[in-house]
Amino acid sequence: MSAGVAGASLVIGISWSCSNNPPVDQTRNGAQFIPNAWLKIDTEGHVIVTVAESEMGQGPFTALPMIVAEELNVDWRHVKVERATLNPAYGYQLTGGSTSISKGWATLRQAGAVARQILLNAAALTWQVPISECRAEQSSILHLPSKKSLSYAALVPQATQLPIPDTALLKEPNEFTIIGTPTPRLDTPDKISGRARFGIDTKLPGMQYATITHCPVFGGKPKRIDKEKTLKIEGVLDVFKIEEGVIVLAKDTWTAFKGKAALNIEWDFGDKQSISSDSIIETLNELGADQTTEVVKQGNPEKLLNTGSLESEYTLPFQAHVPLEPMNCTASFEGGKLRIWAPTQSPSEAFDVARSVTQSKIQRTANKIKTKLFGSEDNSIEINTTLLGGGFGRRLKQDFVSEATQVAKRTKKPVQLVWTREEDIQHDFYHPLTLHEMRGALDENGLPIAWHHIIKGPNAKPHGADRLPYDIPNIRVDLIDIGKILPVGPWRSVMHAYNAFAVEHFFDELARAGNHDPLELRLQLMSQTPRLKKTLEIAADKTDWSSERGLFGVASHAGFGSYASEVVQLVEHGNRLKIEKITCAIDCGIAINPDIAKAQIEGSIVFGLTAALKSFITIRDGQVQQSNYHNYPILNMAETPPIEVVIVESDGSPGGIGEPGVPPLAPALANALFAASGKPTRNLPIPFDNGGIKIT
Amino acid sequence: MKININQTVHDIDIDPDTPLLWVLRDHLDLTGTKYGCGIGVCGSCTVLVDGLPVRSCITPTSEVEDQEILTIEGVSNDNSHPVQQAWEDIQVPQCGYCQSGQILTAIALLNNNKRPSDRDIDQAMSGVLCRCGTYPRVRQAIKMAADKKSGGNGDTV
Repeated sequence: MSAGVAGASLVIGISWSCSNNPPVDQTRNGAQFIPNAWLKIDTEGHVIVTVAESEMGQGPFTALPMIVAEELNVDWRHVKVERATLNPAYGYQLTGGSTSISKGWATLRQAGAVARQILLNAAALTWQVPISECRAEQSSILHLPSKKSLSYAALVPQATQLPIPDTALLKEPNEFTIIGTPTPRLDTPDKISGRARFGIDTKLPGMQYATITHCPVFGGKPKRIDKEKTLKIEGVLDVFKIEEGVIVLAKDTWTAFKGKAALNIEWDFGDKQSISSDSIIETLNELGADQTTEVVKQGNPEKLLNTGSLESEYTLPFQAHVPLEPMNCTASFEGGKLRIWAPTQSPSEAFDVARSVTQSKIQRTANKIKTKLFGSEDNSIEINTTLLGGGFGRRLKQDFVSEATQVAKRTKKPVQLVWTREEDIQHDFYHPLTLHEMRGALDENGLPIAWHHIIKGPNAKPHGADRLPYDIPNIRVDLIDIGKILPVGPWRSVMHAYNAFAVEHFFDELARAGNHDPLELRLQLMSQTPRLKKTLEIAADKTDWSSERGLFGVASHAGFGSYASEVVQLVEHGNRLKIEKITCAIDCGIAINPDIAKAQIEGSIVFGLTAALKSFITIRDGQVQQSNYHNYPILNMAETPPIEVVIVESDGSPGGIGEPGVPPLAPALANALFAASGKPTRNLPIPFDNGGIKIT
Repeated sequence: MKININQTVHDIDIDPDTPLLWVLRDHLDLTGTKYGCGIGVCGSCTVLVDGLPVRSCITPTSEVEDQEILTIEGVSNDNSHPVQQAWEDIQVPQCGYCQSGQILTAIALLNNNKRPSDRDIDQAMSGVLCRCGTYPRVRQAIKMAADKKSGGNGDTV
C-alpha cells in the first residue's frame, strides 16, 4: 500500500482496491491525487467528488460532496461532482429508502479525512516540520509557526507518493463549517439553463428512436400485429415484438409515436382480465381473522376488545408515480459491447437486467464465477446513470432497460426508447391498494387501552404500523398479504404512507371517543418516543392556535431514521374547507444541508396532498383506467397551501429526508377534517374541487 | 420550412404537422424543452411564441413558422436573466425536469405583469405541473424576480 493511486481499507468495512479506483487522468497538467474511489484532487485544485447515488431531485449530488468537503477542509467553491460508473467499490448501487446520506455518512467522512491527513503529511514532509504544527484550512495546509502555506493543488504531486492511512481522525460536529449550512445545490445552474441532461436527452450518433405498446391488460401478449398502416408512415423503420410488447422503430420520437397510434394489435389478454380494484376490495373484505399473520402481540388485547370496542375501516387506493420524465432508456449494442444510458435508481439492477437479455443463463453463471474467483468484472456491459426527472421509487424497476436492450440487441444500432405518458400511467408498478381494519378500547378515563390493526392488501407490509409511538398497553397487529397479483412496487415512503394513515387517523377516532384533545393525548402518550414528541411540540408551537382549535389536525410518524410531525390548518370558505397552512417539524438527525432538507419536506407535503386529495388508480377488466395527467391529476400551484418547515436541531446520526415527510400528511389532513366536520375519513382521496373540500 | 428559434433561423425538413416540441428536441438538439404528457396538460414543454407561453407538444410547427420562438436555451447564456437569478437564489429546482416550463411561464407572466399578486401567480402558473412539489419556491422566486426587475424594496405582493 504505497502511492496515492493505490488502495487502502477502512475500519468501516469497505475495502478499496487499486482496480476499483477510476483511471488517473494524466492528460491535464500532471497527475491527480486519488486517495480512494470517492474523490480526486487535480493540480488546479479542483476537488472532484464521485457520487454513486442517483440524483432525482433529493440532492445527493450536493449533500454527499458536502460531507467529503467538510472533512477535507476544502473551499466549497473548488468542489465538483461527478457521477459514478458501475463500480464494486460502491457496493450494490441502488438509491432508495431515503438512505443516501445514512449509508454514505461514515464512509464519505473517512474518505475526506484520509485525504486531509495525507495532504498534511505531504506538507510537513515538504517543509520538514512536525505535522502537529500544520493545519488544513480552505484548500491549503498552513504551517502555524512560520505562517507558510501550500495549496492542495500544489501538494498533489507529493501526495500521490505517500502511503494511505487506514483511517484518520474525524472532526467533532461542533467543528463543522459546511455540514449544517444551507449550501446552494451544485446541480442548480444546469437545471435553470436547460443544459441538464436527463435520460431522455441522451443523443448518440446515428441513433434511432423507439416507443412501445404494452398489452393494456396486465400480463397479456400480442396475438396478431397489423403493421400495415404504421409501416406506411414515412420515417417508420420497423415494427416488431419484444418480450414486453410491440416496438415501433422510427427516425424520430414523434414518428414513432405516430406509428404506435396507427398500430392495430390483437391481444391475448391472459388470465388477469377479470381483475378489478372493486374485486380486490371485495376479496380483501372477505378475508377474515383466520387468514391473518400475526405481526405484533403485546399484552392481551382480545379480552379488552371484545367488550365495547370502537371499530373503523379505511380503504386507500392504488397510486402511480408519474415522474415528469416518462420511462426511457438509450442503448447501443455494437461489437459485442452493450452501453446503456438510463435514468435509473439502480445501475446495479440495470446491469443485471441488461445482462439477462444479452447473455444466456450459462454465460451469466460463468461470468459470475469468474468475477468471484478472479475478481475480473464483466466489461461487456456499461451502465451510465443520467439525471433522473423524478424517481419516487418507479425507477427502482428496470423494465425500460430490459426493453431498450432487446431493441438494441436486435437492431445493432443505437436506440432511444421513450414511453408515452399513457404507457407510463398504465404500466407502472403501483403503490398497492390497502384495507385497514381497526379496533380500539378505552379505559374508564377515556385513554386507549387496547389496539388492533389488520392490514390487508397486495404485497401489504406492516412497517410503520408495527411500532406504535404511543403508550398503549395491549396491542395486536395482523397482516393479510394477498401477494403481487398485479405489478406493485415502492412509492415514496412505501408502506409507511398507508400504515401511518391508519394509525394516526384511528388515534384521533379513539381520542375523540374518549373526549381527549388529540394533540394533548399524543403528547401524554409519547413517553417512549422523545424525538417524535419534540417534533410534535415544535410543529404545534409554530402553528397559530389562536383561532378555533376545531380546524386543526396533527399527525406524527417515525420512519427512515427520522421523526416528523405535521399540522394541517383548515379555514372555512363558504361551504368549503380550504387548507390555510401546513406546518412540519422534522428531526432527521444532523441535517447535512438544511435547505435541501426543507425542500424535500415541502415536496413530500405536495406529494402527500396529491394522494390525499386528487390522484387514484382504478382497475377494471385487468386494465388501468387512468391514462394521463387529465385523469390522474397531481396538485398544482393554486392548490398548494403555504408550507412551513422546521428542521429540528439534532445531534443524532443522519436519517432519511426524501420520504419521512409524506406519511404524516394524509392523516393530519383527515384529522383536521374530522375536527371540522365530526366525521372520520374512510376512503382516500378526500373529495376535493375548486381548491376546497366540500363540507358535508 | 423556416423557423426562428432564439433569434436564429433554422431551415428544417420535416412533416409540417410535427409538433414543435419534437423539432426542438430531436432535430435541433434543444433538449431543454421537455416531453411530459403529449396532450398539453403538464406544461413541461412550454416555450414562448411571440412572448406568450405555448405548449409545444401540441403545436404543429407549421403554425409558428413566422413567429419568434424562445426556448430555455435562449433565455440567457449565463443564467443572468432576473428570473433565473431568482431561481438560483431561492434554490427552486429539485429533479429539474419541469423547470424550463416553469421559468418560461414565469418570464411571460412578469413581462406582462410587473407586480403579480398571489392570484395572478396561481392563474399563470397552475398549468405547469411539478411532481417534486417545488411550487412554494416557484412562487417565492417569482416575487423575488418581480422585486429585482422593478428595483423594489423587497416587499412582496
